[in-house]
Amino acid sequence: MNNQNTNKRIFSVITQTLKMHPVIIVLLALIVIFGSIYPDRFFSPINFKSILRQFVTLTLFALGPSFVVLTGRLDLSFVGVWMLGGVFVWLFKPILGMFAIIMIPVVGVATGLFIGVIQTKAKIPSFILTLSLLVTYTGLSALIAGGYPRAVEGYEFITSPLIPLIPTAFLLTIPIIAAAIFLMKYTRICVYLNAIGSNEEGAQLAGINVDKYKILAFMLSGLFTGIGAMILFQHLGGSAQMELKLNTIVWPLVAIVLGGTPLTGGSGGPQRTLLGAITFTVFYRGLYLSALHPIMVPLLVGVLLIVSIIISARGLKGVTVT
Amino acid sequence: MNDKLLEVKDVYKTFDRVVHALNGVSIEARENEIVGVVGENGAGKSTLMKILVGVYSPDKGELYHKGRRVPFPRNPKEAARRGISIVYQEKGVIPWLKVYQFLFLGHEDKYIKLLTLQMDRMKEQACEILEELHVACKVEAYMHELPLSTQKKIEIARAILGVRLESEDGETTPIIILDEPTAPLTDNECKEMFRDLLKMKKNASFIFISHIIPEVMEYTDRVHVLRDGNLVAQYDLSEEKMTEEDLFRAIVGRKSSEYISRAEDREVAGKEVVLSAKNLTKRGHFYDVSFDLHRGNCIGFFGPAGSGKSKIIRTIAGLMNHDEGQLTAKDQELKADELPHERLSRGIGYFSGETGKELFLNWSIAKNISIINMKKILGKIIPVIQFKTERKMAENIVQKLEIKAPSVRTDCYSLSGGNKQKVSVGKWLERNPDILLLDDPTIGIDVGSREDIYEVLLEMKKKDISMILVSDEPKEYSILCDNIMFVMDGRVQKVLGPEEFRKVMST
Amino acid sequence: MIQEKVMTRPKLSLEWLRSIMTNVGPFIFVIAVVTIFQLINPFFLSYQGIITLIYAMSYFLIAACGLTFVILTGSFDFSVPSVLRLSALICVLYIEKIGLLVIPLALVACLVIGFVNGLLLAKFKVPSFLATLGISIVLEGIAWYLTKGHLALMQNETFRSLATFFIAGFPSTLYWGMGVWIICTFVALVTPFGRRIYAVGGNLEGAGLSDINVARHRIYVFMLSGFLSGLAGVLYMSQMGGGSVRIGAEMAIPLFASVVAGGTALTGGVGGPHRTLLGVIIITWIQAGMAMLAIGQDIQMLTFGLIAIGMSIATIERKRIKIVK
Repeated sequence: MNNQNTNKRIFSVITQTLKMHPVIIVLLALIVIFGSIYPDRFFSPINFKSILRQFVTLTLFALGPSFVVLTGRLDLSFVGVWMLGGVFVWLFKPILGMFAIIMIPVVGVATGLFIGVIQTKAKIPSFILTLSLLVTYTGLSALIAGGYPRAVEGYEFITSPLIPLIPTAFLLTIPIIAAAIFLMKYTRICVYLNAIGSNEEGAQLAGINVDKYKILAFMLSGLFTGIGAMILFQHLGGSAQMELKLNTIVWPLVAIVLGGTPLTGGSGGPQRTLLGAITFTVFYRGLYLSALHPIMVPLLVGVLLIVSIIISARGLKGVTVT
Repeated sequence: MNDKLLEVKDVYKTFDRVVHALNGVSIEARENEIVGVVGENGAGKSTLMKILVGVYSPDKGELYHKGRRVPFPRNPKEAARRGISIVYQEKGVIPWLKVYQFLFLGHEDKYIKLLTLQMDRMKEQACEILEELHVACKVEAYMHELPLSTQKKIEIARAILGVRLESEDGETTPIIILDEPTAPLTDNECKEMFRDLLKMKKNASFIFISHIIPEVMEYTDRVHVLRDGNLVAQYDLSEEKMTEEDLFRAIVGRKSSEYISRAEDREVAGKEVVLSAKNLTKRGHFYDVSFDLHRGNCIGFFGPAGSGKSKIIRTIAGLMNHDEGQLTAKDQELKADELPHERLSRGIGYFSGETGKELFLNWSIAKNISIINMKKILGKIIPVIQFKTERKMAENIVQKLEIKAPSVRTDCYSLSGGNKQKVSVGKWLERNPDILLLDDPTIGIDVGSREDIYEVLLEMKKKDISMILVSDEPKEYSILCDNIMFVMDGRVQKVLGPEEFRKVMST
Repeated sequence: MIQEKVMTRPKLSLEWLRSIMTNVGPFIFVIAVVTIFQLINPFFLSYQGIITLIYAMSYFLIAACGLTFVILTGSFDFSVPSVLRLSALICVLYIEKIGLLVIPLALVACLVIGFVNGLLLAKFKVPSFLATLGISIVLEGIAWYLTKGHLALMQNETFRSLATFFIAGFPSTLYWGMGVWIICTFVALVTPFGRRIYAVGGNLEGAGLSDINVARHRIYVFMLSGFLSGLAGVLYMSQMGGGSVRIGAEMAIPLFASVVAGGTALTGGVGGPHRTLLGVIIITWIQAGMAMLAIGQDIQMLTFGLIAIGMSIATIERKRIKIVK
């Protein structure tokens, strides 16, 4: 009798979760598909490690912007934070020693503050604002670094292998993910951000200081990206990349949308982004293993982005879209 | 007679030095009562309520709580501490929040321990209050999943909860402002809600904003009537004997001398029907509207705000779609999903008094007039804009309507309200559509300009332009309309001729 | 406290400043730029210098005009550089097989892409910057597929002379650029179509009430933008003589900056191709000037990013938008 009940409950929990996060079905489907086409290569230890590595990079870039997307806005500046932060580390290493790495989150939070204030006061659409800022940061970092990537010594311990098969960066990412989920579930920050994205006027009428929370969202984005970039700093080779690739900027966005957070905001959040990130990573690695790389991949990523947006835009009846 | 709980004295509020929302309004709410605040759109009800709740601050005025003078609250939280809370007419609900999250929105600081929200406690208390107020739902459900009436009830629960959480002494009687709460509810749900409200009267006072006269008459103890930012009447319904029409007239205003019809006697027989409606229905808004509009005639849809009259005219314009029924213009059926520009190509123009929507304010007068008269200003050989023709056309209109502006190149931005309206009317005068829908054509403009606009409209009528009018100014119906359809609760209750209408509206 | 604002005329204030920036700013900029660079390097305005500028400016101007129309309606077209690239690549890759027919082929393809962009916005309600962003990624993929990453060279002399044939001392691309610009300005200011575009951007609701098929016009502007970007791509390939997937790599922000710097506000309804000329002059001449001073790409990016942000702030009509995302 008891067994039956528990089974029923587990079953209903599973169906509930699947309904809330349909992307899980996609993930499972992808695993099954790729697993049957290339069983040895897909389930190999190398692939597993690659998946984790890519997941780490993607997640660390996508978690921060998730907070901003909750409010219905976009934050495309994350790569810029990583780049500029990296350059600042190089710059400040002689002065601050090992603590120089703190510069990255500092840059992140400062950027978030700047974006938030300009967005709320000057009312510039977040997309163009953060994109322009990204470009500015690219220029700025290249300028300060003198034009080529600067290697920084001393942080190798961040990625020295601890557990076989699992990149250390992944282990370090876990507390960050945990922090994001904590914020999401147990504080009122995410309730407020959801409210702003869902019905900004209503949130204001309910007495929420909407401007303050919008700025906070951007600062959180910068903070998480900054902390993530500390790990990525070493994970991706010790210094920041100087080039701006449109493709890579869009991947975190795809992860967010795929995970189920609509770009108009109001529901979802970091936990969904995680699902989106892992799904996208599996998708990408699977394609990588096939003969299609590197030519078809950007194409499919673009198509994936558009399709996810169309699907999530279904709920936009009656909203004026420009 | 109950004790005075909250009293507002002589409140003034002006926006941007131009819009006088409130001119010395005073109202009072007593213990354990439901007091009504009624008035037309723009009467000042919303502004007054937002001042009470701390969203706006008044320019002048005094606030008394239980006889003691207190400052006006500076934000909703302070208002809640004073016991005042509001349930908004719309946009109050946040669709993607869960019920318990919504219930406590803004008051989470009471549930935080060590930086974390005590969600279990919140959910527990949510269940308690929902039970207390007879709202049946799961606290984990998302707001948008629930039926509208449940959402409304949860909003009321949230208001009461807000006061309880914020008030310092726990002794404060909550004063809950209900802003047009019954709009989304069915008849049964209304009755239920009021039944619950009456039960709650012993624990709270309610300020009930509405324009649905039967409800106000039945459920409120006293009523304040606002018009154009002024308090024009106050009735104690338990003592005075009033009819619904009395209340209606108080809201709408009686100026009998102005009701002389200036519409000339029009022979309807023999004139073709330009627009006809059969059983036009839009569920939730209006039902079974039927009429025949003859050439050169004007039909008015008259009724209190919320009766559905605006929705009817907007549906004919193509801004909304009807669900059932037929709309025919010149023997061609108008499909429900047509957009306004398609209706316009069939000869139906829509004129709204809201110049922000109607006009391109950063454009010149000339451009505003020509935008719907493009065909007239294009060259014969190459279809480009002939600026001289455009200018002449605009100058013609400006002269005819006596629009006060330096030149036709002036931006509409800088014109006064009345002149803006004239530009709007002017462009339609030039366009000469078969049918012109007038949606509050003279809202917010001075008397002089109003008269001018009436002249123009009457002239257009003489030119065989047919019209449909919806307005909050009864006088307009007398002046312009040949037939007036009285709309209430989404249905046409009766059809009046101008003489009968005048009799109904005057003493 | 919330204060509701009624639209009133601009007084001596931020509004007034915004108005000045939109109307007079660009002129001042141009004069400043020219003066500064000419002072630094007297060869800036030499014959050779001017030729360089013309080559940099002409195709850019055409693409910017296309983007201008889209921004006038209040939308955004992120795919302009990618469309330009695709058009250029189609020309260089297929000219051996079908000769000069590549030109109409490329233009039609770009027209179709523009149509898809417009459709995504009008029918599927995808915000324009996202739709065009997605499309541009897809186009990048197609570019990779077509070129397999290699550099392609244009050998066809006829094709190359399209942009480089000298008439009256100046390369033909100048006449193309100016010709297109004149036509665009004409369309915008003097045709009913142009008037309607301004209407859609100026007051979306009002436009719908004014006899304008809003959805259709929005699709039209994207098609126009696609076509012009395609044209720009053809001229680019003619002038450069070769290219790879790297074409148009860093064009997006300078392109946007030049439209905004010219005085066309993001909110739509204000500005136009005639102003974009000024913006293009400012941006391309700054670019050329900086190259001349051997200032690196990085500072250039920095500058354009700042200009883009700065001019957006300066020209946006804040009073019109209540909630900005």
